[in-house]
Amino acid sequence: MSAGLPLTERRFAVDAYADDAALSAALLAEGVGLSPFEARRLAELLGRNPTWCELHLFNAEWSEHCSYKSSKPTLREFLPTSGPTVVLGPQEDAGILLLGPTGDGDRWGIVIAHESHNHPSQVLPTEGAATGIGGIVRDVDCMGAEVIAVADPLRFGDPSGPQADRTRWITAGVVDGIWQYGNALGVPNLGGDIVFDPCYDDNCLVNVVALGLVRESRILHSRVPEQAHQEPYDLILVGKPTDDSGFGGAAFASMDLDEADEDTNRGAVQVPDPFLKNVLLLHKANEAVRDAAQAAGAAVGMKDLGAAGIACSSSELCAAGGFGAWIDLDRVHVALPNLRPEVIAVAETQERYLWAVPRWFTPTVLRIYNEEWDLPGVYEGAQAAVIGEARSDKRYVVTCRGEVVCDADVDTVTAGIEYERVAAAAVWDEPEPDVRGGDLPGRLLRLLASPNIASKESLYRFYDTEVQGRAVLRSGEADAGVIAPLFDRPWGAALTVDGNPRYGRIDPYWGGVNAVAEAMRNIAAVGATPVGMTDCLNFGNPEVPAQFAEFRESVRGLSAAARALWLKDYPGEPTPFVSGNVSLYNQSAAGRAVSPSPIVACLGVIDDHARCVTPQLKEPGNALIVAGARRAELGGSAYYQVFHEAHGQSVPRPDLNVERNLIHGTIDAIASGGVRACHDISNGGLLVTVAEMLIGGWGHGTCGAQVDLAAVPYDGEETAALREQASAFGETGGFVLEVQPAQVAPVLAIYRERGVAAAVCGSVSATPTLDLGPAGAVSLDDLRGAWLGGLPEVLG
Amino acid sequence: MAAVPRVAVVQFPGMNCEAETKLALEAVGLEAEIYRWNRDPAGLDGFDAMVVGGGFSYQDRVRSGVIAAREPICERLLTLAGQGRPILGICNGAQVLVETGLVPGLQPGRIEVALAPNRMTQGGRVVRRDYFCTWTHLRLVTPPQRCVWTAALQPAAVLAIPMAHGEGRFTSATAGLFEQLAADGQLVWQYCDPAGVVSEDFPICPNGSTRATAAVCNPAGNVLAIMPHPERASWLRQVPQDLPGPWGAARRAAYGQAAALAAAGPGRGIFASLAQSLAVAL
Repeated sequence: MSAGLPLTERRFAVDAYADDAALSAALLAEGVGLSPFEARRLAELLGRNPTWCELHLFNAEWSEHCSYKSSKPTLREFLPTSGPTVVLGPQEDAGILLLGPTGDGDRWGIVIAHESHNHPSQVLPTEGAATGIGGIVRDVDCMGAEVIAVADPLRFGDPSGPQADRTRWITAGVVDGIWQYGNALGVPNLGGDIVFDPCYDDNCLVNVVALGLVRESRILHSRVPEQAHQEPYDLILVGKPTDDSGFGGAAFASMDLDEADEDTNRGAVQVPDPFLKNVLLLHKANEAVRDAAQAAGAAVGMKDLGAAGIACSSSELCAAGGFGAWIDLDRVHVALPNLRPEVIAVAETQERYLWAVPRWFTPTVLRIYNEEWDLPGVYEGAQAAVIGEARSDKRYVVTCRGEVVCDADVDTVTAGIEYERVAAAAVWDEPEPDVRGGDLPGRLLRLLASPNIASKESLYRFYDTEVQGRAVLRSGEADAGVIAPLFDRPWGAALTVDGNPRYGRIDPYWGGVNAVAEAMRNIAAVGATPVGMTDCLNFGNPEVPAQFAEFRESVRGLSAAARALWLKDYPGEPTPFVSGNVSLYNQSAAGRAVSPSPIVACLGVIDDHARCVTPQLKEPGNALIVAGARRAELGGSAYYQVFHEAHGQSVPRPDLNVERNLIHGTIDAIASGGVRACHDISNGGLLVTVAEMLIGGWGHGTCGAQVDLAAVPYDGEETAALREQASAFGETGGFVLEVQPAQVAPVLAIYRERGVAAAVCGSVSATPTLDLGPAGAVSLDDLRGAWLGGLPEVLG
Repeated sequence: MAAVPRVAVVQFPGMNCEAETKLALEAVGLEAEIYRWNRDPAGLDGFDAMVVGGGFSYQDRVRSGVIAAREPICERLLTLAGQGRPILGICNGAQVLVETGLVPGLQPGRIEVALAPNRMTQGGRVVRRDYFCTWTHLRLVTPPQRCVWTAALQPAAVLAIPMAHGEGRFTSATAGLFEQLAADGQLVWQYCDPAGVVSEDFPICPNGSTRATAAVCNPAGNVLAIMPHPERASWLRQVPQDLPGPWGAARRAAYGQAAALAAAGPGRGIFASLAQSLAVAL
């Protein structure tokens, strides 16, 4: 036991520094990102100078990455997080949304988690992207769930810009990391999206979303059970031996990226290993332990090791249950000799978990990992080992080599720190470009080949979409990915991600609104109903008032949309955010920050995935219906980007009541059975949408179409040229549906009853051409060539 | 009533397709049990057939399948194969069977072919390399009765099956070996277009495999190594809606009908062939 051991003399003498500059320099020399104010606050809380272990522990705990110290007040103020579809809100590693009843009194839930791994991926793209997947999969697994899907929202720099070579290197490296790691793990990739934009030249964004399947009664909580008040509870560390990788990773993720300091940066990136994780996960050793605990009636808790390693996980696991802990670092299995105590305590070595189990159950846990699954035999140094115990007195004590290296109140360790940041919005004053009419076919082909619109097939073919056998709609096949979580039921779970930096740059509020609306449209376009969301908020430096204003306005936009675009079956109930992540300081040392990049992931469910539709046109003779009026909202569009190298002002500003009816109407239309194909109108506008329906998600389309732009619903009094171009290429939300002739009237009625403009604007033909009448025509082969060839041409 | 035949799904550390492989076997009325690599190899004798599934055994260290092939359990597979026990290797499992010397098994225990890193070609020009995941079509190019794992299929059957691998290019240092395998009926499945026309060109052949080979059996026909994943095409629901060819058309025709989508998919025939063979044997 820890009792009687002396506190180490290795302490950081906060009180030896009279002025902030000297203290700041001393902290930086130790590799600690705490501000002088924070270091003094720590000494005040402890009532003495911190040990080096405490210094590094609080450095991680008080980092933006762990504490959300700048973002928490804003998130609390705005985001809806509860509601009838929520099984578990955002309080643990992941949120859980309702899938449906099990039939035996229980409920099936879909676990959803969303993370970023931006800084590591900029420095070491392959390892950074891989460990991003590793972390998110652990988050879902440790809720007691089977991990059933991942998706990757990726943001890279301009592949033709001044940093083109680096951007191409990062893009290739990130995709490599995703496939090399994700495929080996055996979790299908359900899609994601890729956006190229100059604002990511110095800071790529690598977000990752994961889904899991769990019965509500089998949810495993990240806390020591209350039984630990009555009987001894061991803390068991499982997985790879601890090394020094990722030491300082949480703090690294919360700093500006200084390119000159690449060697140091690389040391803060963890080393991924899908192999060991596969052995631990997915019907394997972790599940064997969960089953054994259930069978034996052992109340257990589990948490993955992520940011700040053992120290963060053990303190949070215990504090969440109202306990303290004693951690004996001498019992931690390590990969290297002579690691300093603070390194063992906070290093972010991958593929590790921490269990809290009653002592009588400990031998079973050790046997399952170390003998049945032979961790030491399949991976050098890997094992399960008891490293400490829960304690009722709420002290968090860490010992090493006969000394106490950390001794603090556990709630002090986990309470974090908060700041009220100052927000001052900047003004976007770019003028609206002059729109010229004409040349629809030529402009359509150029848009189709532009990197943000062109097919991403050359990249996503690296991802295993088929493993687990659950696929219904895969990457590229449709607006959202769909899986069948259960083999004996026709339920579908749909997942999509969205976030357009060009909208946020003009107006962060509308950028947030559009991210939510577009994500929901993607879900509706396959026929599923949105039930909840996660957000990953990627922004610049919160200490800069203009950048903090972007953050606040974006979150306000997310919130407004989530409340107005409420749950379809529960009028007035906001679509909740059940999980999320904040990634700040996405700026280079030169001060270039990313544009506001809230990335939304939306989960939808459908009770019969047989009704899910793809965008590819099915049968000549069917009608094409456009739902949602076009407006003169070309601001931030791909059209302005490609033809005017501009943004303008007129970002889509949806009337959210109309938008809700548009989305819900589309779900009803598809549920009615008369819709054979559907695609939402987004990047590139209506003509790109129709062209993609001809081409098909995987390029297998054979049908043509005739479209009359004059018949497209339009809201506004603009000049003929602007009306024509906005109808063709404006990104105001909407849908194009392929409808069998007999179903046209009922589908139009669905929209009319909801007050949404919808009209027949064309038809599907057997001639492989997109015929725009007087505006011209393009062959399907040309459309396909432009769309499939665009990205390989740019990426080389 | 005869006992339900039992199939072992052999699991090495790093494999990741055990669950769906087990489901695909159960869907044809067989009993399936996941058999961990460190269990007693002799325990396999109690099973009527074995499937070595897909994944990344031992992290593909050195090269895919080679470390698993050195496990005692693979010696047992060699023995059982010699006694005529049906064995199927899918993807990484196919790599294990090749590295064990079970396939093509002209001299059992000797490594005679390799599954090399993908190298996609068009007209002999390399157009892509490395891992690739897509839906392929396969044509049965031996008489169905030649192999236990095709016995229930129609001659020249064309199946839509997904592939997902980085090392699936059948090749050999022995000149003329694949011609000999083809002549002897051991070259079982070739990649083809949706109409059944075989081609070595990408994307019809997704990995540059010699003679567009997707699957090879041993001389006796009881052991099959197949790179694409029939267990991921065991239900019609799993076939992509927009896939060209008859399987895609069947999928589209079933639109909106949950029961039709729950029916057999193209890969089911491989497992149904085993079930039929075992029922006859019992």
